[in-house]
Amino acid sequence: MSELNTFLFNILLFSLFFNVGISLYGIFARPSLIKKIIALTIFSDTANVLAIAVGYRGWPSPSQPPIPPVITTTEPSIDDLTWFARQAVDPLPQALVLTAIVIGLAVTLFLVFLTLQVYRLYGTTDVRRVARLRG
Amino acid sequence: MIELDTLTYLFMALAGVVSLIATYLAVLENDLIRAVIFSALQSTVYAILFYLLMAPDIALVYIPVAVGLYPAVVLFLIKKTERSEGDLGGAGGGSE
Repeated sequence: MSELNTFLFNILLFSLFFNVGISLYGIFARPSLIKKIIALTIFSDTANVLAIAVGYRGWPSPSQPPIPPVITTTEPSIDDLTWFARQAVDPLPQALVLTAIVIGLAVTLFLVFLTLQVYRLYGTTDVRRVARLRG
Repeated sequence: MIELDTLTYLFMALAGVVSLIATYLAVLENDLIRAVIFSALQSTVYAILFYLLMAPDIALVYIPVAVGLYPAVVLFLIKKTERSEGDLGGAGGGSE
């Protein structure tokens, strides 16, 4: 069963890396500014999922499935804490990803209104036409 | 008999493949509204993936932001500007 778990988890990781490639193509090669914004959100989300996957304790062949990093007893003993530290996933990437999601929301809203202003000034959202206007 | 671990990894692999297809369609789609819908599908799959990777708090934050707010804001932007990506093709050549 361990090889099958490794195979399935590798499918997940490879599809995430392919997502990074496709969204980078969307950011750099597509002409529309709105398509660039969509690809940028996909890229940042994929980076977040990769960070969470790095902190996932149950990389293939775990003894038991991992648990979320939440202590459910109010006054944990030493044994509880030892069991928790062995079983729970890493909470540090989750804290970083929470910050990254909020900052990404602010950046996306800024880019949306920047694109709206570009359309109001130049009448298009195509970067090729905007570049020709500026040139 | 299939085990719980294998089932979890099976759903993870399925979510990865679906997100790959949705990203491909979202980036290569010419109609921007359909691209936003594919992007929302990809965000939904990522929310399931966060839950499977034992980060339920991230899933709780991610669902309203990435499934609700991003498509709403981008749809607002598309409504205010232009719907099609406008494939210029050869028109953007060296006509400086």
